[in-house]
Amino acid sequence: MEAASVTGAPPRRRSEAVREFISRYGLIAILLVLPVVYGIQDLSNDGNLNRLGNNLVEGLSNGAILALIALGYTLVYGIIELINFAHGEVFMLGSLSAAALYTPFGLTPDTGTGGLILGLGAILILAMVASASLNVMIERVAYRPLRSAPKLAPLITAVGMSFVLQNVGILWIGASQVAIPDLLGSQKHLFDIWGVTVTRGHVLAIAVTIPLVILLTSFVARSRLGKAMRATAQDPEAARLMGINVDTTISLTFLLGGLMAGAAGLISALYQTSIWYFQGFSAGLYAFTAAVMGGIGNIRGAVLGGFIIGIIQGISDNRIGNDWTPAIVFVYLVIIMVFRPQGLIGEETREAG
Amino acid sequence: MSTGNGSADALLATEHVTKAFGGLVAVEDVSFYVKPRSIVSIIGPNGAGKTTFFNMLTGLYKPTLGRIVFGGTDVTGTRPDIITSLGVARTFQNIRLFSSMTATENVMVGQHARMKAGLFGSILRPPAVRREEVEVRDKAREMLAYVGLEESHFGQLASNLSYGDQRRVEIARALASDPALLLLDEPTAGMNPNESARLTEFMEQLREERALTILLIEHDMKVVMGVSERITVLDHGTKIAEGQPEEIRANDRVIEAYLGKREGGQG
Amino acid sequence: MSRVAQWRRHPRTPLVIGVLGAIAVALFPLFRPPLDGLTNDAILALAFVVMALGLNLVVGFAGLLDLGYVAFYAFGLMVTGWWASDFYSSVNDEKGIHVGTSDFVSNLPGIHLNFLLLIIGAIIICAIAGIVIGLPTLRLRGDYIAIVTLAFGEIIGRVFANGDEVTIFGDNKLSNGRQSISPIDQINLPVFGEFDSALNLRPYYWAVFALVLVVLFVNFRLRDSRLGRAWIALREDEVAAASMGVPLVKTKLLSYAAGGAFGGISGAFLGPFYTSINANQFQFGFSIFVLAMVILGGLGSIWGVVLGAVALSFVNYWLIPDVLDGEFVRDKLDSLGLEFSFTEVTFGVFGFLLVLMMVLRPEGLLPERRRQLELTTPGEGGLEEPGEILEVRRT
Repeated sequence: MEAASVTGAPPRRRSEAVREFISRYGLIAILLVLPVVYGIQDLSNDGNLNRLGNNLVEGLSNGAILALIALGYTLVYGIIELINFAHGEVFMLGSLSAAALYTPFGLTPDTGTGGLILGLGAILILAMVASASLNVMIERVAYRPLRSAPKLAPLITAVGMSFVLQNVGILWIGASQVAIPDLLGSQKHLFDIWGVTVTRGHVLAIAVTIPLVILLTSFVARSRLGKAMRATAQDPEAARLMGINVDTTISLTFLLGGLMAGAAGLISALYQTSIWYFQGFSAGLYAFTAAVMGGIGNIRGAVLGGFIIGIIQGISDNRIGNDWTPAIVFVYLVIIMVFRPQGLIGEETREAG
Repeated sequence: MSTGNGSADALLATEHVTKAFGGLVAVEDVSFYVKPRSIVSIIGPNGAGKTTFFNMLTGLYKPTLGRIVFGGTDVTGTRPDIITSLGVARTFQNIRLFSSMTATENVMVGQHARMKAGLFGSILRPPAVRREEVEVRDKAREMLAYVGLEESHFGQLASNLSYGDQRRVEIARALASDPALLLLDEPTAGMNPNESARLTEFMEQLREERALTILLIEHDMKVVMGVSERITVLDHGTKIAEGQPEEIRANDRVIEAYLGKREGGQG
Repeated sequence: MSRVAQWRRHPRTPLVIGVLGAIAVALFPLFRPPLDGLTNDAILALAFVVMALGLNLVVGFAGLLDLGYVAFYAFGLMVTGWWASDFYSSVNDEKGIHVGTSDFVSNLPGIHLNFLLLIIGAIIICAIAGIVIGLPTLRLRGDYIAIVTLAFGEIIGRVFANGDEVTIFGDNKLSNGRQSISPIDQINLPVFGEFDSALNLRPYYWAVFALVLVVLFVNFRLRDSRLGRAWIALREDEVAAASMGVPLVKTKLLSYAAGGAFGGISGAFLGPFYTSINANQFQFGFSIFVLAMVILGGLGSIWGVVLGAVALSFVNYWLIPDVLDGEFVRDKLDSLGLEFSFTEVTFGVFGFLLVLMMVLRPEGLLPERRRQLELTTPGEGGLEEPGEILEVRRT
């Protein structure tokens, strides 16, 4: 990078600043289309926003799961500029592992609160560890050997790993969705707020996600390892010269992403009360959309994006039909990639060329 | 808008060109011109903005401010392939050949802008397209011979050629598009004094035989002083001096910018 | 030099081998009964050769990682569903529209176009689709191109899977949703007449073989042309290519359009061959299946891709279901006390193959330029660092 003078305010063509403004607020406007349209429809049909409110609560809960998965994508992309295609499957296997541990831990819908907390706490840790180990293993096996290869190569291996892992899911629980015990009574009504129903599942999702996100953010911001991660993300060569073990740092990044995915897996198992080998593919793509929406490489962006996509999903599932939701989310993905690839709060990427 | 003496009949002229990447200003307010059939050098310490400047001239970067005029046409922010078809060709600081193509094919790509075959022409190959392919291949071989590549190497993959040969192929590729203006970015990097001397002769040969105008970024002062009719010095993105080799050599500001660097060595 | 050695060096030898090989492949169905499982699998393999060659244009030549190739397969199939069946039976007061159809079909309601028209229609629609899909990717980096094309593949797949809820031009449904559209008209060609896949598969074999020959011809022509070189230049170094006069936008869009058109051709053939089409097939896994063929064979290598397509088709349609899950292997596994269905791991096998190839042999089985590489004398040339030259000369 050439050094140059930094003489006061940079001369920017007015058109560039205008474009930045339009693309950011344009994106926000497009994101608001669904809620606004259906909000108006609700007001005219029912006279209140309860239905939309329910959509939002549903969406926020799903969004919490997506946010956790999105963190994995964004951390990995931030540090090695690679889309970890297999990350969705890491989430899926986390879910499957968690569900498989219900019986060994003797957890049933009748288990008392104390037992549930202990049991699920343990399962949470185990699922997180399982997913984290899997993610680290994937990096070692499929990505590290190709670090100097053209970017096409690790992307293809990522897709390949994704398929291998999906097949592991099929071999484990078969090709259809499997219902699992509803340990928390996740549909059980907890309270109403402003006419909107909030269930146990909703509270669970948010209650587990927020602390994890806070923990992760402070870890990355404050700890020595977190600093190493950020340094490596900015400039791997310089980081290496400073004595940072880049390989270990990268593995650590995958580990953290895996931990989040594992937690998401357990939450999903408890909330959806079903598991499916294919859940990683869609959740993965949605979460990736979320990461890009927020700004790839940006932790807060991933969380924000997760909630936004969750809400879009919630509205679409309820209003348009969950057969159409993937198409709608992917249309949003294309729009973001084309018009604002840096996402809502990401930084402008370097010019091409 | 006048930019100083002599710009009226310039082949290429830039007016107050500036390039900023966010908060970083790489090139600032550079007004510059090149007269036809001249050999002009741009020098400056590392990081002075020379390659960024080149990239603007060839359309890879869009100037943040300012204008670029080539052969009377405003080409500010024009796409690189269009600028090439207008008659500007370049080589790169780090050789950028197409490694999975042969030397001949690399030079054939250089003629892309001068060829006409489209999708259907490529598939059906009417006589006109057939002829074009033969002509293009012959011209490629001619160019390669002109730059001094051994014929046995014509069919070699570019990645298998020696460094010196790769540089030759890059120049041949640039010449293949029949440019009026040739931009060479550090062409003597990695060459010994003999090779550099030969390249200098070659540049003059190009100017004579092919009526080319040459714009050079260089660190090798011997080459610069020996071949340039005019030298422009950039430092930290701005023009700090411009003139004949003798003037530049004695210029205090220039010497200061290169503080501590030996005069005849590599930059 | 022995006779054999002489013959091996003769420049015409590859051509002779090629022609003999082509004749052998062409005559293959005559050695099998008219209705035959192996011929069926071979027809599928050849259809996938067409598709893989199409994807090769995009990923292999131009270097654009398209993970949504299923979209073109979908359009190709849907073209036959729209215009070679009774799907739009209400058209023309239920009398239907018929162009170039056989006597039998000419009496059926719905839109029925001759097979050749279907091919042309599929080419046009897929070329347009390719451009639409390619446009958003123009300024994106490789991995983002992969995601956007994947997204398009999913969007198009979903739209067709829910197409029964979408109406166009009045009350007409876009597709039959998750239900099949059937029957699709048999192929009907001038001179050769109407095929009947219930009686004889050989005409279908020869039809797809002819398509393969045409597609191969187009591929070879393109590869050794101005456009082909532009694509490879684009793949190697976009910036240098643009600086040499290659117009990036146009060249990329041409690659998507041409590559997509091949997918459409294959889809338009498969519609009549399957005699029934269903939007449930439009899954991401399909795109990966075709991608695996290109990677196995060798990105950018025409014969490599042909090999990859044939190999993986046979693995998928014959080796796994008929051999590995066939009686002989099952009995062996039973005797070992194992119960294992190989079909269940098809996904994983292809995924594993992708990983293996990229780590061990990314250039594929028959790499592009293999001939060229063989011609290079070992030890000569090779990239030297600038400093090296100086050091060598100073001694």
